[in-house]
Amino acid sequence: MNAARSSRPPEASDGAPRPGLPPAAAALPMERPPRTEVGPLGWLRHNLFSSTFNAGLTLMLAGLLGWLGWLAVRWTVTDANWGVVLKNWRVILFGVYPRAEIWRPAAGLILVFVLGWLTWWVWRRTEMWRMRRPILAAWVISPLVFGLLLGGFELPTLRSIGNGLGYFLFRPDLLSALNAGWRGPVALGLVAAVAAITLDLDRRPLARALSAAALVATALFNLPSALLFSAQVPTALIVLAAGGAGWIVGRWCTRLLSWTEQGRRLVPWLWLAVLVACLFVLTDFKVGRPEFDPVEVLTSVQPSLWSGVLLTLVLATVTAVLSFPFGVLLALGRTSRLPVVRACCVGLIEVVRGVPLITILFMAQVMLPMFLPMNLSIDRVLRAIAGMTIFTAAYLAEVIRGGLQAVPREQVEAARALGLSELLVTALVVLPQALRLVIPAIMGQFVSMFKDTTLVAIIGLLELLGILSSITKQREFLGTVREVYLLAAAFYFVICYAMSVASRRVETRLGVGTR
Amino acid sequence: MPDIERIDTGDDIIVCENVKKWFGEFQALRGISLRVRRGEVLVIIGPSGSGKSTFIRTVNRLEEHQGGRIVVDGIELSHDVRNIAAIRSEIGMVFQQFNLFPHLTVRQNLTLAPIWVRRWSQAKAEAKAMELLDRVGIPEQADKYPGQLSGGQQQRVAIARALAMEPRIMLFDEPTSALDPEMIKEVLDVMQELAHTGITMVVVTHEMGFAREAADRICFFDFGNLVEIGPPDQFFHSPQHERTKLFLSQILHQ
Repeated sequence: MNAARSSRPPEASDGAPRPGLPPAAAALPMERPPRTEVGPLGWLRHNLFSSTFNAGLTLMLAGLLGWLGWLAVRWTVTDANWGVVLKNWRVILFGVYPRAEIWRPAAGLILVFVLGWLTWWVWRRTEMWRMRRPILAAWVISPLVFGLLLGGFELPTLRSIGNGLGYFLFRPDLLSALNAGWRGPVALGLVAAVAAITLDLDRRPLARALSAAALVATALFNLPSALLFSAQVPTALIVLAAGGAGWIVGRWCTRLLSWTEQGRRLVPWLWLAVLVACLFVLTDFKVGRPEFDPVEVLTSVQPSLWSGVLLTLVLATVTAVLSFPFGVLLALGRTSRLPVVRACCVGLIEVVRGVPLITILFMAQVMLPMFLPMNLSIDRVLRAIAGMTIFTAAYLAEVIRGGLQAVPREQVEAARALGLSELLVTALVVLPQALRLVIPAIMGQFVSMFKDTTLVAIIGLLELLGILSSITKQREFLGTVREVYLLAAAFYFVICYAMSVASRRVETRLGVGTR
Repeated sequence: MPDIERIDTGDDIIVCENVKKWFGEFQALRGISLRVRRGEVLVIIGPSGSGKSTFIRTVNRLEEHQGGRIVVDGIELSHDVRNIAAIRSEIGMVFQQFNLFPHLTVRQNLTLAPIWVRRWSQAKAEAKAMELLDRVGIPEQADKYPGQLSGGQQQRVAIARALAMEPRIMLFDEPTSALDPEMIKEVLDVMQELAHTGITMVVVTHEMGFAREAADRICFFDFGNLVEIGPPDQFFHSPQHERTKLFLSQILHQ
């Protein structure tokens, strides 16, 4: 780690005594190297002017580069018509997003940069490790937040929430159904059976209290009808019989089938089943909808209107955040011992990697709607994100698999010997080490994915490149192709370069290659 | 852990009956029968390839045995994941190559399993970790990474990591073989001290000095067989088998 960080040449540390050992006896004092061998002067002499021929070559190339540079600068400053960028900056950034709502994507962009900067800042200092989890969580939910921010959303009013709750909790017709004939007792019997099982198997006080409460509540609902004496057969008898029968069946289940561990795991599912069954018994599933009067908090903007730099960044961020967990899962599946899981993962990865991204994007646009129900249409932007996510995840999976294989077997053995389950061995010992090893490769995938976002221009989405080429086709800005594409190149270069610098720094920080 | 069948093995904490193991066609263990008593320090010696490491690795299921029977602390080692988990949390293991987790600090190495397997609180696990680091003599290294420690220090951390789970049995698989000669003693001292605490220890080693000092019994493995077992005095001074005599004469030739 020290050798990797320090910029000193490796020979410099040779003379230093190893810690804990006495220095070499009667060592000669260290001398400084000659001035012409080190420093900038030494570098120039070694690399550029080591012979007359090389010196000549150096001067010629310097002249050529200088001339080309001068031409470039002159074109940029005097000839280029940068008006096309200045007049269209809003369109370039936000495309056809509604003018009045542009504060939302602007806020979104600022949020992304703040989050990125925070991540960077926190990861640099080890004493801030407690902040890492919240930041990871923020990244995980970021697609949802940006989706809501950009796409707009509605919220129900407090009145309608109260209305709905009241409707489901105190529905008058549900109450009468409970009182009506056979329905109430049947529900009671079902609840009694599951309550009996729970009380028998589950030792946790909360589970016991909840199941007892459910039983008592259902019994109370039956009380009004049980107190009616007008029926031919006393209803109270029926209610008692149903409850008792349910209870005995529940007991019978646990005793005769001698359910133990498996039975306890079944308990939550039994309650779910009973809930559904009771709803069916009581209402025949004819539950009406309560009043719902949502308020539009942010006006809806269809994703197909998201465009420009905004769309490029949305595509890249969302694809990165979504494809990473998918990639990890695919890699784990591919190295799994279960043959079916492995076969599925290998199949998916190989198929996706065998198809060009543009094909996947076309398929997502053209073929996906054929498999979906008529009334369900997914937005074109979302379909592009889905295509890019699958594509990137497949490549990430292969990269991560390489990392998984590079973690020594002994690490797994040590973790198992400590009693960690297979899941924990993977999550706590193997994956962290594997991911560290492949950070540069993962970043490489993200960089190429970022550049690949330009392909969605071909399927008609207006990301940065799409917007720029449509600008050059306007009469007012004809002949500005050079300026516009130079701008695009600069944009992609700056972001990709920043990503690779960040990756290199993270790599050093995590001490890749040190064991 | 409920519902794990326990077998009464009396005073013996590890019971092996006719344990067999093959690697492909090669039979590494040819029917090992051995009982380890509670609190005993058992040292296993033998030439390389004799199956000693394989044997102790079968005791906590790092290698699966293909014949015979192993019972650890009353729990039979079977294919049941719950049995394996219960046994592994009772056994600490120290490896030749330390196998510390390089991405975690020393402190995190020690608290990982207690927090995730024993479900201890962070505070309790850290208190235990510091106590153990104190015991192995390197409390000041708690926040370093394993890569920043010397071999001897790493092995002491590895011992502390195994002890953090409060195991009843400790397995040592040639714990000093990968160390510089200067560092062997600091690790042996820790093991020596541990042997006096009454924990059951099974140690595969080439350190005859340690075997003589600390062992209650020594066993000698050759070609996957348990050739001879006995207390150190008898083992070193009047070995019964020719093979043992030959081995001892070769390693104690000075």
